[in-house]
Amino acid sequence: MKTCIACGMPMTKPSDFAMGDESKDYCVYCARPDGTMQSYPEKVEGTTEFLIRTQGLDQEAAHEMAIRTLAKLPAWKGMAEGACE
Amino acid sequence: MKKTSRQMQKEHTKELLLKTAYEVFSERGIMNTRMSDIAQAGGVSHGTMFVHFQTQEALIEEVVDTYAQKIALRTHELAQSCESVEAILRAHLSGIMEFEPFYRRLVIESPLLPTGARDCMVMIQSAVSLHFSSAMQRREKTAEEGDVPVSILFNMWIGLIHYYLVNNDLFAPDGHVIERWGETLLQNFLKLLPKAALS
Repeated sequence: MKTCIACGMPMTKPSDFAMGDESKDYCVYCARPDGTMQSYPEKVEGTTEFLIRTQGLDQEAAHEMAIRTLAKLPAWKGMAEGACE
Repeated sequence: MKKTSRQMQKEHTKELLLKTAYEVFSERGIMNTRMSDIAQAGGVSHGTMFVHFQTQEALIEEVVDTYAQKIALRTHELAQSCESVEAILRAHLSGIMEFEPFYRRLVIESPLLPTGARDCMVMIQSAVSLHFSSAMQRREKTAEEGDVPVSILFNMWIGLIHYYLVNNDLFAPDGHVIERWGETLLQNFLKLLPKAALS
């Protein structure tokens, strides 16, 4: 089973993949409308928004958590805080 | 490149220690357990423990990360084919039930854990909140001012389940909280949701 290189989500069915394309390494949530992968700043912003909207986290806590969580993923390894500023 | 038997033995020992730590953490607590307790339970020397985990913090982070990923993946697998809020929350309970003693320790000790391990708790919640918020979208389309936000509804659910888990001595002294209370809590929580969210 593949997991998204940009957010870590398991991809178990075609609709989980960007554009439904199982050869892609990133998921439907990490793709832009044209199918390309979102940039690091876009992903930090999207993850922060997700944590606030679905779990009600504080803005700053969600932002810091997004940075720490993304840093563990293959697409963003080595990204330090400040890279998205 | 093919692994040498020495490398394979090393990986095997590490897997054994991760599993042993998971079991000891589940039984005695995470912060309460010493490296020497895991070494003893796993039948290895204290020195062997430090070959694989240089500090107690590193051990905790790796065990929690490994098993939190298992819990999140299992929850995601169970919830992804569900369309209704009821089915998603039932999948959430099933995911917890498979790992209940360890999950309970995570809930109790989460604020005390090293940051990396604490973040894992949010990762598990994200596996549920993703599906919960998607299922509630139908409601969001017709949301009116004054409706309870999805994040508050989600946290009410999490708070309810965690309260029962933490206080298992009061609710299910045999330790099986989800088995005994899961369906009751689910059915009553659903009664609190707006009807539009359940249609």
